[in-house]
Amino acid sequence: MVQDKTLLSRLFDGVNYTLLTLVALVTVLPFLHVIAGSFTTVQELAQKQFVLFPTVFTLDAYRYVLSTNVIFKALGVSVGVTLFGTLFSMFLTCLMAYGLARKDLVGRNGIMFAVVFTMLFSGGMIPTFLVVKQMGLIDSFAALIIPSAINAFNLIIMRNFFQNLPDGIEESAKIDGCSDWGILFKIVIPLSMPAIATISLFYAVTYWNTYLQAILYLNDTAKWPVQIILRQIVILASGLAADTSGFDDGFVQPPEQTVKMAVIVIATLPILLVYPFLQKHFAKGALLGSIKG
Amino acid sequence: MKKRYGKMAMAAALTLSVVAAGCAQKPDGSQGSSGNAVEAKKGPTKITIMANLHTPEVPSDIIEKLLEEKTNTELTFQWVPDGSYDEKMNAAFATGSLPHAVYVKNQTSLIMYRDAIRNGQFWEVGPLLKHYPNLKNLDQNVLNNISVDGKVYGLYQERPLSRQGIIYRKDWADALGLKAPQTTEDLYNMLKAFTENDPNKSGKKDTFGLTDRSDLVYGAFKTVASYFGTPNGWGVQDGKLVPEFMHPGYMETMNFFKRLHSEGLMNKDFPVTSKNDQQNLFITGKAGVYIGSMADSVSLHAKMIDVNKNVVLDVANRVKKPNGKEGVWAIPGFGSVVMFPKSAVKTEAELKDILAFYDKLMSPEVANLTYWGVEGQHYTKEANGSIKPNPDTKLTDREVKAYQALQVGGPSTIKMLEPVHTLPVKAKAEELILDNNKILIHDPTAPLDSKTFTEKGSRLQEIVKDATYKYILGSIDAAGFQKEIDRWKKDGGDNIIAEFNASFQQAKK
Amino acid sequence: MSTREAAIPGAGIHPAQTKRKDHSSLWNRIMKNRAMYMMILPGLLFFIIFKYVPMAGLVIAFQDYKPYLGITGSSWTGLSHFERLFSEPMFFTILRNTLVLFAMNLLFYFPVPILLAVMLNEVRINVFKRFVQTLVYIPHFMSWVIIVSISFVMLSTDRGLINELFAMMGFEKINFLLSNEWFRPMYILQVIWREAGWGTIIYLAAMAAIDPGLYEAARIDGAGRFRQIWHITLPSIRSVIVVLLILKIGDVLELGFEHVYLLLNSMNREVAEIFDTYVYTAGLKQGQYSFSAAVGFFKSFVGLLLVLGANWLAKKVGEEGIF
Repeated sequence: MVQDKTLLSRLFDGVNYTLLTLVALVTVLPFLHVIAGSFTTVQELAQKQFVLFPTVFTLDAYRYVLSTNVIFKALGVSVGVTLFGTLFSMFLTCLMAYGLARKDLVGRNGIMFAVVFTMLFSGGMIPTFLVVKQMGLIDSFAALIIPSAINAFNLIIMRNFFQNLPDGIEESAKIDGCSDWGILFKIVIPLSMPAIATISLFYAVTYWNTYLQAILYLNDTAKWPVQIILRQIVILASGLAADTSGFDDGFVQPPEQTVKMAVIVIATLPILLVYPFLQKHFAKGALLGSIKG
Repeated sequence: MKKRYGKMAMAAALTLSVVAAGCAQKPDGSQGSSGNAVEAKKGPTKITIMANLHTPEVPSDIIEKLLEEKTNTELTFQWVPDGSYDEKMNAAFATGSLPHAVYVKNQTSLIMYRDAIRNGQFWEVGPLLKHYPNLKNLDQNVLNNISVDGKVYGLYQERPLSRQGIIYRKDWADALGLKAPQTTEDLYNMLKAFTENDPNKSGKKDTFGLTDRSDLVYGAFKTVASYFGTPNGWGVQDGKLVPEFMHPGYMETMNFFKRLHSEGLMNKDFPVTSKNDQQNLFITGKAGVYIGSMADSVSLHAKMIDVNKNVVLDVANRVKKPNGKEGVWAIPGFGSVVMFPKSAVKTEAELKDILAFYDKLMSPEVANLTYWGVEGQHYTKEANGSIKPNPDTKLTDREVKAYQALQVGGPSTIKMLEPVHTLPVKAKAEELILDNNKILIHDPTAPLDSKTFTEKGSRLQEIVKDATYKYILGSIDAAGFQKEIDRWKKDGGDNIIAEFNASFQQAKK
Repeated sequence: MSTREAAIPGAGIHPAQTKRKDHSSLWNRIMKNRAMYMMILPGLLFFIIFKYVPMAGLVIAFQDYKPYLGITGSSWTGLSHFERLFSEPMFFTILRNTLVLFAMNLLFYFPVPILLAVMLNEVRINVFKRFVQTLVYIPHFMSWVIIVSISFVMLSTDRGLINELFAMMGFEKINFLLSNEWFRPMYILQVIWREAGWGTIIYLAAMAAIDPGLYEAARIDGAGRFRQIWHITLPSIRSVIVVLLILKIGDVLELGFEHVYLLLNSMNREVAEIFDTYVYTAGLKQGQYSFSAAVGFFKSFVGLLLVLGANWLAKKVGEEGIF
């Protein structure tokens, strides 16, 4: 790559790097506070309120959270649901998006409108519950995946990416005797890795954050994903549940703030780690590289 | 009025939500309920129970196994996180998926189900209670509070009627030569002294009096309102019901808080302060007075002693305005209420089997098991018969405490084990909570019904809440407050007054 | 097009048949793409079963719905719930608040991820780029409860860090949390803080498709950095921007209930009450299913109009639009 070394360009770089560093700092500080808070004592947290460098270091919060296998089981469930859910969703989404990306498809705009319509109007929680119940999905992990298999937003973005692929590729493949299915799986998908990575990430995060569906469709608490435990602890630790839920708050103490932070760290880290692995697909010229390769 | 965090989980996905198709009458196949009635006579009764979970994790099954053994049942629990309980229950109700026994979280939720109860969706249990040795002990007054049109449809979980009082820094008060407050003037003087007279002897003005939070009910406001003689929710004037905020005591309370706020004797941001932040101000020695549940003194003390060994806490109640009457507002005496949907419990015979389980649950042996756990593991018995809970709260959190949600009745109807209080303030708090029972102010509308209140009550309540905060913070004056009350009346308040009074007259007959 | 048709055996059209072209060509066009329909089918079934079937629930907006009676058993009330909504004394305040927050989202939030993505795209040290990318995306995973409670710690006048700082420097303390003036800036800054980094991902993916050769050619032509951004980077993500903009406009009334509800208090209700928070206290909290559904219906309807308008406008200016 030719580096241009004009003064203006260097100035641009200087400003750019400084700004980005600032932005990164501002965005990450509160999370560092949560991490630091999970490694310190309740007293230190109460005194300082905002902790970045704990003066007292302790693993008590983690000891408490990890002393049963509940959180591990829940993490297992979340990982499983996220993995299978993302695969299933990507499969359906790619198929439908590719079909709808074909510009001469009769009825294409009608279907697209129908999809957008579902983003605006929704029948609500209870009718959906009834459908899920009728299909016999209650208390199964499938209830967390199938009813949210395709996200309209993701579908539209995916289709947009497919549409922007150079037209010539498909045409030449067709001449080479490829079927539409062949083109999708052998050419279009490998060519769309940045998009696939993006949308997979979106799905993965949605599945990881599944909360309400789990509450509604899973009666069996052994199947709970980690978000339920996370929310439960965050809400209890915030302290207002006690007054209105009728239970004896003198008897049941809410979890400590440090425990809350430890659970946030445990429940967030796995999904945070997904992104760095996908990043190579966002590198400059990644698409071109895959065409050449 | 109860704000925020607890409720907010209910919300996210609910924006468009709500609805359902008509199959509430249909049984839920997965419960395995129907057809068991006959064989249940011999084998254990199968009962599925939906209850709210208020511990961080679902409990292990140690207590469940013992419970099944002692009551000859096969229990299945559907634990639902407390913050999402209403949502789950509404969805399950509308889709006919409720299990045999359902705990309705609190009075507010119970009011929402009144309509369905009248429609016959739940079994009436009132007339059956007398056949059970333990259930018949349930307090008639509290049963009356959970009744709908005079009929009882559930069993209640007992709650102390009023735990409200003042927790304050005794060490600070001693240092400044102050006694426990007996009048609202004493209270004001204490708050002022704690703010201005350097109670912690730091040489700096780094303390203040009262720490409060964004809650006009369970925070300090309502309790102080009682001290000023304000009725609880509604008061009776000349034989008619009048809302509390039209009572002069309410205005006096607002003036009291306005004074505290403008003089800097309390935290400035109390309308947005969470319970956790409120307690932090107390724990870290910034504030010296906490008004709320006196039972909180134990956990507050435990956290404070780690920071400062010299902390001494004390509690106080029976505060009144000079020449006023003592009083403290009371809750209706129940926490959650367990009800039995007809969609899952098919026959009266089945209902009786389930009630038999609840009867056993109310026996001292089983009640203590669900509340305190297993002797030797979760508590030890002292010589005088009182018990010492296992200090390993991690263990009791995980194995026992969640089952407290199941409890029916309570200390006044069951012979419960008594814990020893090693901490003097805890013992005194317990004593004062009992003492509160002598000066209770009840909400006369608990068993009454108002259609407008059921439909619009929360929204209208918000008008009054906003006006109260605005008055205290000084953004409106008395005339402005009156204007807001007029708005409340116009938007539906007048109807609520009329409807509650009609219901009140009817109940008197 | 012609090569494609020629590639399909039997799809050739005889000149003599052109008068029946309308009918047969439609059929041919469908048959030619039958593989595409097969691909769409599973997704379509999904939308029908899990989205359109439950939409029957929308009718409760026109009913006095009782859960135990169901849709079939509940009585019809026509438009009475809508009348209640429109006659609500605060209706116009709520509408104004909702629209103002929406406009702020569009004006102040929407461009930020684009800007950030462009800035990241200009970074040549790969390690630095990845590092920043990973950090800015973290806030998306923090729940509003946590964010709002951290903001409280920062902004409170009691001992909030920022106000302590102000006091130390001799400034007046600012009542961020309990004032009408500060609610909107606070809201939008929190939205930007939480979502901007996350929002860059889509744009970065679109930029990954740019041929690096284009930049090199531009440089040889003597184009500066800004001109490269303007002529190469932005045009290549234009269609993504348009699609996201249309979808964002459709989301007009989805302003994040949880977030606003947590920031809302008695002192800022005049500017902070939006439809979602209103319907929560006026409807859901009290089991007013039908009323809540009616408010939802109204919101969706406004969203639909805006999407249609935005899509039409996009096509008008020569973009693809969504449908």
